Amino acid sequence: MVPANFFSWLWDKLNVFATVFLGIFVEAVPYLLLGTLASGLVEVFTDRDQITRWVSKRPVASSITGAMMGMIFPVCECGVVPLTRRLFKKGLPLSAGISFLLAAPVLNPIVLFSTASAFGWADMLFWRFFLSLIIAVTVGLVFSVEKDSNNVLKTVFDSHEHEHSYQDKSMTEKIRQAFLITVDEFFDMGRYLVLGTTLAAGLQTFVSQSTLLAIGSGPILSVLIMLLLAVLLSICSTVDSFVALGFVGTFSFGSILSFLVFGPMVDIKSVMMYTQVFKRRAVFYIVAIPFMMSLLAGLLFNYLGK
Amino acid sequence: MTHRMARSFQGLILLGLCIFFASKAINGQLTWYINARFIPLTLFGILFLAILAQTVFAEVRRSRAEDSEEHEHHHDHEHSPAGLWVMLIPLLIGVLIPPRPLDSSAFTSKGFNTNAPLVSAESSAQLFETESEERNILDWLKLFNYNDNVTQFSGQQASVIGFVYFDEALGENQFYVSRFVVSCCAADGFAIAMPVQWNDVATLEQDAWVQVKGRIEAIVIDDRNVPLIVAESVQEVPVPERPYLFP
Repeated sequence: MVPANFFSWLWDKLNVFATVFLGIFVEAVPYLLLGTLASGLVEVFTDRDQITRWVSKRPVASSITGAMMGMIFPVCECGVVPLTRRLFKKGLPLSAGISFLLAAPVLNPIVLFSTASAFGWADMLFWRFFLSLIIAVTVGLVFSVEKDSNNVLKTVFDSHEHEHSYQDKSMTEKIRQAFLITVDEFFDMGRYLVLGTTLAAGLQTFVSQSTLLAIGSGPILSVLIMLLLAVLLSICSTVDSFVALGFVGTFSFGSILSFLVFGPMVDIKSVMMYTQVFKRRAVFYIVAIPFMMSLLAGLLFNYLGK
Repeated sequence: MTHRMARSFQGLILLGLCIFFASKAINGQLTWYINARFIPLTLFGILFLAILAQTVFAEVRRSRAEDSEEHEHHHDHEHSPAGLWVMLIPLLIGVLIPPRPLDSSAFTSKGFNTNAPLVSAESSAQLFETESEERNILDWLKLFNYNDNVTQFSGQQASVIGFVYFDEALGENQFYVSRFVVSCCAADGFAIAMPVQWNDVATLEQDAWVQVKGRIEAIVIDDRNVPLIVAESVQEVPVPERPYLFP
């Protein structure tokens, strides 16, 4: 009797896993396609000189520019990784690229409107954007100390590849090349999306969220639980505010804010994708600094009222 | 894996994903995975995957034609076969595991609620104007959540659709009629439920989809006002086209 029960239990779990997995995957693929398409277009239609002309070499200016670039390239956390990698290849300074990577999933028009429609044009919206900007610029500045980008970036692009000129090619040829790059990037990043989604769906199937939420009371623990949930849920930044809305009433302003700031920067699938672009030590800083800062921000709000 | 083989393989996977998504769009099962308002985005994905697959197949044909001439110098980075195989996982999961919307087997990890703290109070105002029989489970829970005087709803006629969930905490002739609420995708889904009073619970099975009609009665569970349906009829219905509620 016991084995039969066990198998039906396992079968049920497998079904939950499959549904959650496909949920995240179906939701993320169009965004990943958009991000990789942007990367393909950048590769074909811009050259190194343009990028270096647009972005200042001075750390502060370059970090702020990077953080605000999401307003022009509206990408979420799946799409931003391939695009950032491509921009690095095109000579974008390290600090600008890292600020872009962290800020773009929040500081873009789509997320602006989705947050506003969930929380109104009020405090939550302001603090979400302000804190994301501050954290992204801070991490950008930390990386501006590193002068040799080879210590931070993985050399994924073959050396024979970088002297490429698409200038004299016809429009159709350029688009064809851009699409082929899109395909390569889609597969490159897609496998990390798949691995991250597998992990997230597996955790969601076996870790009880209700228990997690039940222990999540108190000013410190509630922030930690929300940060953990942000990583665990791995939902797209374009819609996470609607999910966060579900926690209003159960969780404090500070805890939900930390969820909304940290989630777009770090979750299971984005960290998987980061490992494809950055060396391990760099990934550690990209995860740890936003974590500490989001935690701190959540705690400040919880203790100083709100 | 040679470059051309890798390219062909890429094309096949792109085509496979395109067909898989398209089949889900056609049979209406996309809403088993994502909130309906993201369907246009998926449709864009289907179209773009088709274009990319076509581009890749054209490239394969071109490289085959060029092969007889000079050996070509490839610009693209090499593909590790492992990287390509990983992209087969979603297709395998989609094809091998029979599709099934979230049901009570997800309760152990996702939990379920008899209250709905998810929308601001203003939006419940318009719910007063909707016909009581038009309200779904989410609407009822919202009404009970954001109104102090819940006895005003007692006696109203309700008609809701959901799946059956038996909970030990409930009384003998009672069960929950439950529904998942999905904001974005199945990953953020959480279950909400209304208790139902019904004399014939023995005929019902866990997770069966039913339409419950009856009168609302305000009861208290764990210090919270909860709408209970005193059922006049409980009818088995097929799985609704959209199994989740979208807030």
